[in-house]
Amino acid sequence: MSVSIPVLETQRLILRGPEPGDYPDFKATFSSYRSRFMGGPLNAYEAWMLYAAEIGHWDIRGFGMWMIHDRESDRTLGMAGGWFPAKWPERELAWIIWPEVAGRGIALEATHACRKHFYETLGWDGAVSYVDPKNLDSIRLAERLGAKRDLEAASVDGHDLCYRHPSPAALRSGQISDGIEMEIANYIDPLFTPKGMPVD
Amino acid sequence: MTKALPVLETERLRLEPPSLAILDAEKRFWASDRATFAGGRMTGPQVWRYLALQRGHWDLLGYGMFSVVEKQSGAPVGLIGLWGPEPWPEPELAYNIYEGSSGKGYAEEAARAVMGWNFGALGRERLISVIHPDNLPSQRLAARLGGAPTGEQFTPNPDADPVDIWRYCAPEGRS
Repeated sequence: MSVSIPVLETQRLILRGPEPGDYPDFKATFSSYRSRFMGGPLNAYEAWMLYAAEIGHWDIRGFGMWMIHDRESDRTLGMAGGWFPAKWPERELAWIIWPEVAGRGIALEATHACRKHFYETLGWDGAVSYVDPKNLDSIRLAERLGAKRDLEAASVDGHDLCYRHPSPAALRSGQISDGIEMEIANYIDPLFTPKGMPVD
Repeated sequence: MTKALPVLETERLRLEPPSLAILDAEKRFWASDRATFAGGRMTGPQVWRYLALQRGHWDLLGYGMFSVVEKQSGAPVGLIGLWGPEPWPEPELAYNIYEGSSGKGYAEEAARAVMGWNFGALGRERLISVIHPDNLPSQRLAARLGGAPTGEQFTPNPDADPVDIWRYCAPEGRS
């Protein structure tokens, strides 16, 4: 293969290229109901083909989806990165988190790092995310990332919503990034932790 | 993902890793009747993904399909190689020949190069092809290459027909 996939590191996560040994984790989520907004659930044949396509995407486009690993245990938690196959109107920032580890701010931390890499290292001038209108968790994440619904933009299939991410300049100006980083910090070390059992 | 992928050569053909250079040829193949026994027709965007997954197949398994081109003209001839995604029972010799390239003995020439690579450089001792029971041209080629049906079948995709498993003999001197 002609590209080497960069490794991105955040406080809790390490993002590496998808490897053969990660496939069972990918298959588990993509053959489950969790993948219903990403074209799933897939059978074994379809899941393997999609995984191979995720790797080939890196080779063809020079960017793609990283496998998200927990920094401490190295276990996989999901995928995040760029996705721009044929038929996609624009380069997409995309994510999927394995269902058993959802709710810990992993997608936010991973996508924030991916977007920064695309803007600062690859020189992207923007990005979008295509979200199923019923995928409320992903709509909420797009909003937390500072993305706004773009009613003018083309969607992939006329059914999904296009969320447009803030430009590199808007992201550099501080407020959006600061908010994201504060939220991530709060996942890592909550500002408020209940002491003892609630009594009411 | 930095390892170099192999290139094979025969008298008239070069076998190289597939790339977007053959996207148009692949789109024509998958929009035609020739796709019937290869898994069914695909749209343009599906063919793009198919080429992407061809690259990923190499990366995941260390072998894959080659884009076969005519040495003299550079014209694409087809996609031939070792194909073994989940849930294949073992890697198979697979061949998709483009319209206009059949009847020249190219498929056999390229397939023999892949067989030599399989039993030689790769050090594998087994080789099958999975062939649709109605795909007579493919069965004829498999027979010319020394293959024979095993009587076993497998279903590559829950949505597809079961296909016959053919097996080739390893060359003399190997078990």
